[in-house]
Amino acid sequence: MLTGFTITDYSKKTEDLTTAEMTDEGVKKVLQRHRISGNCHIITFQLEFQIVETQSKENISSVITDLGIVMEPTEYSELSEFVSRAEERRDLFMFFRGLHFFVKWCEYRKRTFTHFKDKYPDVVHLPEGPYSHCMGIRGASCPEFELVIVWRIHVDMEGKVLPQLDLLPGVPRQALQLDRHGVVDTAPQGFRSLLGVLGIEGTLESLIGSMQ
Amino acid sequence: MMRKMKSGVLAHLEGLEAQMNRACKRSEKPWRVQARESALGTKIRELRRLRDKLKAEVKRRQQTTEKASLASTECDQTVETREQEALERKRESVKAILQAYRFTGLSGKLTSRGVCVCISTAFEGNLLDSYFVDLVIEKPLRIHHHSIPVFIPLEKIAAKYLQTDLQHFLFSLCEALNAYSGRKYQADRLQGEFAAFLTGPLQRNSLCNLLSFTYKVDQSSSFRARLLYEDLTVTLPTDVTVTPQGTEALSALREEQRAAHEALFRTEPLHKVFASFAREEELSVSVAS
Repeated sequence: MLTGFTITDYSKKTEDLTTAEMTDEGVKKVLQRHRISGNCHIITFQLEFQIVETQSKENISSVITDLGIVMEPTEYSELSEFVSRAEERRDLFMFFRGLHFFVKWCEYRKRTFTHFKDKYPDVVHLPEGPYSHCMGIRGASCPEFELVIVWRIHVDMEGKVLPQLDLLPGVPRQALQLDRHGVVDTAPQGFRSLLGVLGIEGTLESLIGSMQ
Repeated sequence: MMRKMKSGVLAHLEGLEAQMNRACKRSEKPWRVQARESALGTKIRELRRLRDKLKAEVKRRQQTTEKASLASTECDQTVETREQEALERKRESVKAILQAYRFTGLSGKLTSRGVCVCISTAFEGNLLDSYFVDLVIEKPLRIHHHSIPVFIPLEKIAAKYLQTDLQHFLFSLCEALNAYSGRKYQADRLQGEFAAFLTGPLQRNSLCNLLSFTYKVDQSSSFRARLLYEDLTVTLPTDVTVTPQGTEALSALREEQRAAHEALFRTEPLHKVFASFAREEELSVSVAS
């Protein structure tokens, strides 16, 4: 579908809530119960929500009064918090927007990690497979040193999706003792600055290059 | 002639006699002939039975074939009706699913030129205005017609994404429109429901991202609040300043109140902040009385 969402099933039930007094005043109130099943790439969702539609002589108002969301797979912990917030706020559209951008970033992360794994199969390893949220770089010459790139996809209060990349250097204790300039400690900050300059792919490429 | 007649009668009588003799003779048939006759009789009866049996069988088969052909025509009709019903149900289901897309906030309808996309907006569960963008599928992709308000940066978003990533274009527009709808909703509610707290008119721009107003929560002097939403995709202000009205220095209590209000405006939607002021007022009134 145009938007990246595919809806596989939809059902709707309507209940009339209009009381006698409402009818006297020319007001009509209807409760709609909707159920939608579908998927966005590998993530499937099932939503159940209620809309109360109040129609008076002057205007029509529709309010979502209840929203329940179930998603599969459930391994994306970053998503579960976002989903609870969307349910709390009954913000249906924010859920779909957030889901769209989250999936886009997930796919981009997978493509990027897979690209580097294919290009440098001996140096790069993905501990959780292609959908891993972290990538390890281990040089053949010094296998005790490992640079771990953690790439989280964070969804904020407003439903905006932002990538968060961090560098975790894995350095053996003896090496740390030799590190008089504190290079290891400043590495994560340096990584973030590098991201700003070279972008994600450029930074990862240069890090892999430095380990070879 | 007479002799012929006499001989005729005589001959006739003789004939009759002879016939009688012959009949008598026949009744005294030898056993061989009798046996043969009875055998033939049995055969005849046997053949007759077989004929009747075959006749019955033919009749039965004819009846079955008739019934079967009748049933198969009925069957065809039922299958056809059932197929039609299934097709109708499927069509209704597809129609329903197409309707359901508007709940994702973005739905599209094919047009002769391309596609007309409908963007729905909502804030805190309240379904608000919808907007549309009529796209012409051509190289380059272009916008034929739209209902996007002029102060939404449509051209900027289009310049960035329309040709390269249509989905990104649509979702960015979605973000901007939903945020605008949300800000407008908050400002409208302040002007409507909580107008009693305002000591002057609410100053707002069309994009609803710059709001300025003076308000009063208790018997003391009023405050002036200025809310700026620099990011057009948010519904909470990026910058808030609350300043006291009047020239006297602020007491410690008032300064505390001012700072608290500033923090409130930054973290809660506008109408929710005033709703909490209203609740506080109610509480203080009930305590006083």
